[in-house]
Amino acid sequence: MSGDAAQTPPAGPTSPLEPWPDTVQWQSISTDLIWVELLRLAVGVAFVSIVLAVSWAMTDSWPVGAALGVVGLFALWRAVTIVRAVRAWGYAEREDDLLVRHGLLVRRLSIVPYSRMQFVDVSAGPLERAFDLATVQLHTAAAASDARVPGLRPAEASRLRDRLTALGEDRAEGL
Amino acid sequence: MTGSSDPGPDRIPSTASEWDQVGTASDIQHPDPPQGPPARQRLHPLSPALHGAKSLVVVIAGLSWSTLSRVGFGWFVAMVIVLALGASVLAVVSWYYTGYQVVGRELRIHEGLLWRRTRAIPLERLQAVEVVRPLLAQLTGLAELRLEVVGGGKTEAPLAYLSVAEAAALRQRLLALAGDAPGAVPAAQAQPAPAGVESVPPPGRPLHSVSNRDLLISQLLTPQAFLLPFGVAFVAIQFLSEGSWSFIAVASTLTAMAGVLLQPVRRVLDDWRFQLARDGDRLRIRNGLLETRSQTVPLHRVQTVRVTWPLLWRMKGWLRLRLEVAGYAAGEADERNRPDRLLPVGDRPTGEMIVAEVLPGVALSSMPLRPPPTRARWVNPLSRQVLGAGLTEQVFAVRSGLLVRRLTIVPYARLQSVRVVQGPVQRLLGLATVHADTAGGAGAAAVDRDLADAWALAAELTARSRAARRAG
Repeated sequence: MSGDAAQTPPAGPTSPLEPWPDTVQWQSISTDLIWVELLRLAVGVAFVSIVLAVSWAMTDSWPVGAALGVVGLFALWRAVTIVRAVRAWGYAEREDDLLVRHGLLVRRLSIVPYSRMQFVDVSAGPLERAFDLATVQLHTAAAASDARVPGLRPAEASRLRDRLTALGEDRAEGL
Repeated sequence: MTGSSDPGPDRIPSTASEWDQVGTASDIQHPDPPQGPPARQRLHPLSPALHGAKSLVVVIAGLSWSTLSRVGFGWFVAMVIVLALGASVLAVVSWYYTGYQVVGRELRIHEGLLWRRTRAIPLERLQAVEVVRPLLAQLTGLAELRLEVVGGGKTEAPLAYLSVAEAAALRQRLLALAGDAPGAVPAAQAQPAPAGVESVPPPGRPLHSVSNRDLLISQLLTPQAFLLPFGVAFVAIQFLSEGSWSFIAVASTLTAMAGVLLQPVRRVLDDWRFQLARDGDRLRIRNGLLETRSQTVPLHRVQTVRVTWPLLWRMKGWLRLRLEVAGYAAGEADERNRPDRLLPVGDRPTGEMIVAEVLPGVALSSMPLRPPPTRARWVNPLSRQVLGAGLTEQVFAVRSGLLVRRLTIVPYARLQSVRVVQGPVQRLLGLATVHADTAGGAGAAAVDRDLADAWALAAELTARSRAARRAG
C-alpha cells in the first residue's frame, strides 16, 4: 500500500504535513492534551512570574517589570503554539508501519516499521491521568527513532499497544 | 595456569551464586538448580598484577610534571609507590571476587565485594566477541575477552584477563551458544595458541592487508602531524627568546606535543599490520602493534559502512572505510574498542573490493547520487555540489562534507526507521531532510532534499526496507 504511494509521490500538491494523502488516514490526538500542556505552562509561568513580581515589588527596578512583561508575552505565544501543535500532532497505522508526525517550527514525520519494534511504553503522568490521557511510545534498536504518541485515551492507548505488540510479534525481526 | 585450575576459592561464591538466582530475572521460575550451573571460574591469577601495572601508569600521569617539580624526586617516588600499592590491593580484592560462568544460554559475570553485582548476558543478544591483547598481556601470554551485546550502552563485561587458549576457547563456546556459528568453528580452531607470535593471519580467506608504509604516510598526512613542525618552531622561538630552559617547562611542552600527536600515533599503533579476512559470513580483522586485536564481525550485523576521503589524502587518492555494528554504542568511551575499522587506509580499487565484499552488489564508484535542488545553496553555499543521496538495489547512500568527504552506505535491510524533518528555513525553501536510522549509530541523513523528493525518498526507503526484510 505504501508501495503504491511510492510510485505516485509528486503527483498532487504535497502539503508539508500531508504526505500521501490518498493512502494515509491520519488520526489526531485528543484535544484534552491542550489543557494538559496549558496547565503545565501555567504552572511554570506562574512560578516565574511570582518570583519576578516579588522581586519587582521589593527592588522596584524597571528591568524586572520588563522581564515580567516578556514572560507574559512568551506565555501568550506558547499558549497559541500549544493549541496548534497539539492539533498538528497525528499518527497513522499503516499495514506495516506506524507514522507519527508532529512539530510546527521543526516538522517531523517518523516512519517506524512494526517489525523493528523492540518494546512499547505506555505512560501517564498525574496531570495526564487527571484528563484521562496516556502516552504510547514505540522503541526500536535505533536511538534516533522518534515514535511517541501523547494524548491518547487509555482505551485507545492500550488498543494501540496491543496492536503494536501483536504486529511486532507477527513480523518480529528486531535487528 | 588457568583461573579454573585452583579449586580452593570456589567455596566462597556459593553464597554469591544464591544472590545471582535472585538477581537474574530469567531464573525466577527455577529458583535453584544447585548442581546444574557449572562452577564459577576465576580470571587468570596474573590479572591483578597487570591491572596494578596499568594503574601505575595512570598514577604517574595523574601526578604529572608539576607535582614532580613541587615535591622533589624522592617524595614523588614515594607517592607513586603508595598509590600503586593501594591500586594493586584493590585489584587483588576485585580479582578474588570476580568470576564468570556459562549457565545454559547465559553468561554470568559476578563482581564486587561490597556492592555485589551479577550480570547475566543472554547469549542470543551477543553481537560479537573479541580477543584483545594489550602490550603487557602479550608479554605475559594473557588476553582480554570483550563481549558486545545489542542495546548495551558500552562494552559489557570485559573479562580481563584470561590465558590466550582459554580466551579463544571461551569465545568459540560463546559464539557456538549464541547460535550463529555455522561451520565457522573448525576454521577458528586454528586460533593462535602460541602467544606472542602476532603475524598469524586471521583464519579464513584473506581479503586485504594494509602495508605499514601506507599507514605511516597516511597518518603523516593528517592535520595534527602536518601542523606539528609549526608548533615545535613556535615553542622553540619562545624558549630562545626567553632564554630560560627549565627542565619542567621543556618536559611539559613535550608532553603537550605528544598529546597532539596521540591520535595519529595511536592509529598507527592500532592499525599496524592490519589484516582483513573473510571466513564464511564473518569478517575477521586482526591489527595492532603493541596491542593485538582480533575481531570478528558477522556480516549480517553490519549496519552502516562509512567511506571517508580526508582532505590531505586526496592527492594519494586514498580513502578509509569504517563499519557500524549494532551493539557497539556510539557513546563508547574508548572508541578503539569498537570493531569499526574496515580499512584504515587504501586506494579506490581496494575500497571498492572490500565494499563489494561486505555489501554484495554495491559498487562504490557507480553510486547514483543526486544533488539537492539548486535552491539548497542558500543553506549550503559551498557544499551543495558535494551533497547527494541515492538509492541502489540494496543500499541507501548519502554523500556529504566539503573538506573531508564522506559517503554513508546503509543497507535497506538494516533500516530501523525513517524520519522526515523540516526546519523553519527549510520550510521557506521547500526543502526537507530525510533520516535513515540504524541501530547503534548515527544512520544516514540526506539533507535539504526537495520536499516532494523527500517524501518520495521516505516512501521508497520504507518500501525497500520492507522488501529487503521479507526477502532475507
